[in-house]
Amino acid sequence: MSDEQPTQQMPPDPPPHTPQPPRPPLKRSTSDSVIAGVAGGLGRHLNVDPLAIRITFVILTFAGGLGILAYLACLVFVPSDDPAAPPMRWGLARIVGAGLLVLAAIVVLTPDWIAGPWLTILLAAGVVTYLLVRVVRENGASHISGVAARIAIGVVLLALAVGGFTAAAAGSALGGGIAIAGLVIACGIGLVGGAFRGGSRWLIAPAIVLALPLAAVAATDLDVRGTWGDRTFRPADVAELGDGYEMGVGSMSVDLRDLELPPGRTDLPLELGVGEIQVLVPDDMCVTTDAEISLGAIDAGQGEEGGVDVDLHDRRTPDPGVAYVHLDVDLGVGHLSVGDRFFDWERGPDWSGDDRFEQINPGTSRAACEAAA
Amino acid sequence: MRPRPGFDPASLVAGVILIALGALLLLDQADVIELTFAYMLPAVLAALGGIFLACGLAGPPRGE
Repeated sequence: MSDEQPTQQMPPDPPPHTPQPPRPPLKRSTSDSVIAGVAGGLGRHLNVDPLAIRITFVILTFAGGLGILAYLACLVFVPSDDPAAPPMRWGLARIVGAGLLVLAAIVVLTPDWIAGPWLTILLAAGVVTYLLVRVVRENGASHISGVAARIAIGVVLLALAVGGFTAAAAGSALGGGIAIAGLVIACGIGLVGGAFRGGSRWLIAPAIVLALPLAAVAATDLDVRGTWGDRTFRPADVAELGDGYEMGVGSMSVDLRDLELPPGRTDLPLELGVGEIQVLVPDDMCVTTDAEISLGAIDAGQGEEGGVDVDLHDRRTPDPGVAYVHLDVDLGVGHLSVGDRFFDWERGPDWSGDDRFEQINPGTSRAACEAAA
Repeated sequence: MRPRPGFDPASLVAGVILIALGALLLLDQADVIELTFAYMLPAVLAALGGIFLACGLAGPPRGE
């Protein structure tokens, strides 16, 4: 053992603190720009060669278009380093625009998504949340009068917009679609012409108020010209069927229980703009159904199918010689049901309301489509 | 995008988009084409998005 004490080694002095230069803020570059300076700005912020970022964007573009979406997002949300860039209060328009473009991409990539209510719910929730946060942030929760004034103005503007939308939708559905489309084009021409005279952006609002309801009417193929109300049709023979039945808005009930069918196929076209179609058939009648519904649901006994652009094409072919009715239904917005009995069966099979049916139980006999052995 | 005096790029972009959308609607109403939700919804969303984006990128109109 040695009495020699181990020499204490002092830790080396830390290197003198050299402050790191502050990282440049994330802004789109105007000096290193190929398209909009996104990669240049990212490279400057991350201290990475912008070429590597550009290559990354290109590679991601082949991954389902992710690179384009990411670039667009940066273009919208990352400000420019140009001191003369537009003030940020126009950022709302950029955010809304980018959000709508992303929604359009989602709808194209996942069309089934629009069948549910999620799109409307998300849009409404987003707008309401944004407006509430903005009002509270700008005025403070204590400025109740300011908040109330903004809400009142918002309600008035909303009422004006709803009124304009309703009028345009009614005009479109009543056959004025061509004129309204012409007005939208005229607004567009006015905007293009006004662009070289300082701008005419005020034309955008009326054009949108005209175009949106017309687009909805066009997508639903809505035509409400014709009879309005509740009608029940009870043909007794094929001659009474004529060219089928057509209504604008309302409830169309077709009772085929007294119909005498000739052998083979009997076509029955049914057309309704908005409302409900119910077809009641005797339980020994063979029925096939082709239906197109722009927005709504179909239930012909194989389970309800609903959403937008709902098509039902009956592939079944009855046996030769069997008398059957082929329904050809064109419904804009509403519900179609085909069945051979009422839900309220306790009242008896012959019961029906004065003006229209109560709900019928969808489904018809398949055995009726088979020839007797 | 810095607008030149007297020229409003947002109006130009919005005008072109509305002319295209109006033409699409006109063709549908004239029964030349038949639009469904699957086509119309993304078209309308893209048109609105394009208009808003153009206005946002162009900044305030002249005189504001």
